[in-house]
Amino acid sequence: MTRWGFGRGLRHSRLQSILAVAAIAAAVALPVVLVGVGGGVSAHELDQIQTAGYQIVVSASGTHGISNAHSVARAIEGVGQVTAASPILSVAIDAFVGSGGAQPVLAEGVIPDEFSPTLGPTESGLFPDPLPLGDPTDSVHYANGSYSGPASLDVLVSTPYVAEFGVTVGDHLLLGPDANRSQAVSYNVTGTFGVPLNLLGPTGAFAILLPLSDLQVLSGYATGPNASVPDAADTVEVAVASSIAANPGAIDRVESQVQALYPYYGVSALSQEAQQLEAASSVLTGFYLALSSVGITVGLLFLALVLLRRVEADRRSIGIRRALGLPGSSIAGGILRDGFLLAGAGALVGVAAGIVLVDALASWSSGAVQEAAQLAVFSPTFLAALCAGVLLLSLLASGVATRAALRIEITEALR
Amino acid sequence: MTASSVPSIVLRGVTRTYGAGSPDEVRALRGVDLAIPPGETLSIEGPSGCGKTSLLNLLGLLDRPTAGDVLWDDAPVGSKGERERARLRLERVGFIFQRFYLLPTLTTRENVELPMRAAGVPRDERLKRSRELVAEVGLAGRERAFPHQLSGGEEQRVAVARALANEPGLLLADEPTGELDSTNTDAILELLRSVQQRRSATLVLVTHNPVVARRARRHVTMHDGTIERDVREA
Repeated sequence: MTRWGFGRGLRHSRLQSILAVAAIAAAVALPVVLVGVGGGVSAHELDQIQTAGYQIVVSASGTHGISNAHSVARAIEGVGQVTAASPILSVAIDAFVGSGGAQPVLAEGVIPDEFSPTLGPTESGLFPDPLPLGDPTDSVHYANGSYSGPASLDVLVSTPYVAEFGVTVGDHLLLGPDANRSQAVSYNVTGTFGVPLNLLGPTGAFAILLPLSDLQVLSGYATGPNASVPDAADTVEVAVASSIAANPGAIDRVESQVQALYPYYGVSALSQEAQQLEAASSVLTGFYLALSSVGITVGLLFLALVLLRRVEADRRSIGIRRALGLPGSSIAGGILRDGFLLAGAGALVGVAAGIVLVDALASWSSGAVQEAAQLAVFSPTFLAALCAGVLLLSLLASGVATRAALRIEITEALR
Repeated sequence: MTASSVPSIVLRGVTRTYGAGSPDEVRALRGVDLAIPPGETLSIEGPSGCGKTSLLNLLGLLDRPTAGDVLWDDAPVGSKGERERARLRLERVGFIFQRFYLLPTLTTRENVELPMRAAGVPRDERLKRSRELVAEVGLAGRERAFPHQLSGGEEQRVAVARALANEPGLLLADEPTGELDSTNTDAILELLRSVQQRRSATLVLVTHNPVVARRARRHVTMHDGTIERDVREA
């Protein structure tokens, strides 16, 4: 099979060639999609963790399980290298816009002066600085361990919320613990914050931000002046000094000190989460590749069958070439070239199809699939390695066909 | 490329058995002894199934004897490795088959060029020689035609040109006119005769056609796997 017979041979068995390319393309597109999307989501999550303004999270089991949030935060701030400790309470409450009915909304209670330093570079641009929430230290309403001062009655609303309900800065928003309008309290909209969908997801889109103690009272954790109720929060986000922010070992030491303060709360460093995420991501990628290897094996078996079929169809031509004295290497070279061309074309088509498929999902699908597709990352190194792997494995498929070709008896082929 | 030397061929007690030991065993050749000096024109005649093609395949190193020796210039070649046998076929043997056996995906010129390419002949020389050979067999202007665009006579001319590509010393023709009409038969035989004379090559013609056999100076008649008669014309 010299160079001449080669290309024409593929054209003569066009349908088989197209089917072989399609089989390999389908086999290659699968890992392109799985690894592209899976890797993209993992990388995004990892980036979120690594660019967060805080490095340690304190949490407790159960709903709003940290019961002395203000004092816990102050105690944690006393640990060396800690620059801020921001208690956060997340509660679903109801909002009333104008004379309309109740709309559920995710409310987050924060201490403004503690919250801002825990915003990472991605998030900090989304919030006004300083946060226009009245009392920056949240100590007027919540002072000396009791809810005695006046509530700030300031609230920030998310830009999706603004877009949906037409609320603007200066408006009043009725907020209540449930759908009963009579229990709602009027808040002043003092600002907005941007919430890209891919940052917080759909549940975070309709969010509002208000002082921690205001939300604690509003959501029923405190009732009236001097109420003695748990000072509840979900988590405390802890930021460390920038000099150690990129040093996992130093962060782990701070984490240990915080854990020693509160052995009954869960304390974790984001660097550990990042490591766990990376490990999980590696396992997932391995699983995707193992899954894909089945498809690639099937594709290459199909290629071997197509090449074997072509050897059988070209039996006489191969016999003639061998009778004329063409060396076996020339015949083997032709089959290897055929296999390489088909596998290479399949790999390229598969890579292109995978990328186009992910683009289509990012544009035309919805929900979690669309969000995941939008985060997909296609590593040129991975794509090149995938194509190279397919080409290398095609040698096996071609080798099977070559062996069959070289075992053809000349005199039988010429009968 | 220079013309390859013309081998002196000797077959000594050659036997060829197909499917040995099986119920379908066929003894195609039974202890054949034959000597072919360089430059001879020889016809091998006989009825179908008498072993003519089996003998030709052994002469051209397409097959191996079950027993006995095939000697070229006194050296045994029947037991050589396939790579060496392929090299000898490429450089020293030209085959012409009854059914032409041109490669359907190659043009006339490419079919003629094929053995030269395999032998590593430089491109310019290859092109020059293939043009000359195509012209020599009377197909100038048909270089770009594919086999399916040629008549039977034209296809056999291409096959002759291809057989001559590496200027072999041994030309083996198996029923070269079996699928041609009388006009084309005469033309092909005349072509083979003139080529053989010009190049002093050995020409072995396998045929059961008396018209073809008459072109040879020596006539070997086979029967049931053995040489029944071996006659040289004076």
